[in-house]
Amino acid sequence: MELLDRYLQAVQFFLPKKQKADIIAELSEDLRSQIEEKEAELGRTLTDSELEALLKRCGSPWEVASRYLPQRYLIGPTLFPAYRFFLGILLLGCVVPRFLVWIGFLIFDPADRGYLNMGNMLETIVSAAFFTTLAFAIIEWTGIKLKLMDYWNPRKLPPVKDPNRISRANSLVEIGALVVFFALFFQVLWPGPVIDMFGAKIVLAPAWRGFFWAYTVLAMCSLALSGVNLFRPYRTKSRAFWRLLLDVAGGAMFCWLLKAQLFLGISAPNLSEEKAAELTALLKLIMAKALPWAVVILVAILLMSSYRIFRVWSSDRRRNAIVPSVNGVTTSIATGT
Amino acid sequence: MSQSIDNHERFENLRLELRRGCLSLAVLSQLKTERYGYTLRKALNEQGMEIDEGTLYPLLRRLESHGLLTSEWREEEKRNKRFYRLSPDGKQVLKQLAAEWQNINKSLNGIL
Repeated sequence: MELLDRYLQAVQFFLPKKQKADIIAELSEDLRSQIEEKEAELGRTLTDSELEALLKRCGSPWEVASRYLPQRYLIGPTLFPAYRFFLGILLLGCVVPRFLVWIGFLIFDPADRGYLNMGNMLETIVSAAFFTTLAFAIIEWTGIKLKLMDYWNPRKLPPVKDPNRISRANSLVEIGALVVFFALFFQVLWPGPVIDMFGAKIVLAPAWRGFFWAYTVLAMCSLALSGVNLFRPYRTKSRAFWRLLLDVAGGAMFCWLLKAQLFLGISAPNLSEEKAAELTALLKLIMAKALPWAVVILVAILLMSSYRIFRVWSSDRRRNAIVPSVNGVTTSIATGT
Repeated sequence: MSQSIDNHERFENLRLELRRGCLSLAVLSQLKTERYGYTLRKALNEQGMEIDEGTLYPLLRRLESHGLLTSEWREEEKRNKRFYRLSPDGKQVLKQLAAEWQNINKSLNGIL
């Protein structure tokens, strides 16, 4: 019976203090009755391996004890989906931008890649996970959850979203922003060798002309696309592709602008030559340092635009899949492509 | 082969889930007369309602904490045993659950 006593002792270890004696007495009684019955059947005492088999059938001490314990959790099933969502967003927010910036430094400015200390990324991730978990545990255990669960109204739920619908307001804002951009771009940054900006004279490299006209063409294409979107406010594969092309081309050109160091110098009536040289060096340095961040933004734009194409494509596919076939010919809803 | 194992596991999970809901009713019904854990388990097993000790004793405690059972420790055959029986509330709930079971059974028979 030594095995039985050891088993009961192990179960007892995990039980709540107040109920320990009671539960163990009852469990012990049941197991002893089982052993007695088995021994009566066999006409002999049980061997250690037979007793071991009987105890194994009952389950591990932890498993047996856990059945007597109330269900406990830090974050319950109601809050868990929101917890997982927030944790995912936070961790992505911690990891992805830093990683992309680091890649940017590695490609364009390897000497300065130590500027971002990747070593403390793990620390950031653990801290973010800890504080998110703590916040949700507090919501779960302080009764805030119940208030949050009550505070809802079907009328206040967000309207049904059509991810492929382009808001007309967005298109109008885009058109307005592009018109303002054209006005400023042509008035202030007209591609002469020297640009006069708010009384200061900025000297740019001749390559600026190429950038100016290329950017003008891109902005005009964007204006045309926004115009089409205003009157046909649904994303299509071709328009999503054009958006990707224009966004990536614009981002790539901006990165090139930073990399090419087109900025040669600055002068102003009240600015000494020394100060102007300092200011020029500072602006060049800022442009160089901004390059990795610009690459990050470019990659983010590329990913977002690619995702937009994928969304249109999968939505078209789903729509085509559910359209019934007529006389054996599958019809598809016009998608505007 | 692995698909048949998956199917078996799926069936086993559903079977356990189905039986779990019936266990309280079965236990309450057997405690119209006083019994201690081991004899209760044997009685249930003999009637085809298999239940292991790890499930039965926590269930008995839960039913007792809900006021549906009463229990007392007594010596029998030179050993201390805990005897359970239905409380007045337990009798009432058993009637209601039995009626509910009949309804479910009737509906399911119709559906199946």
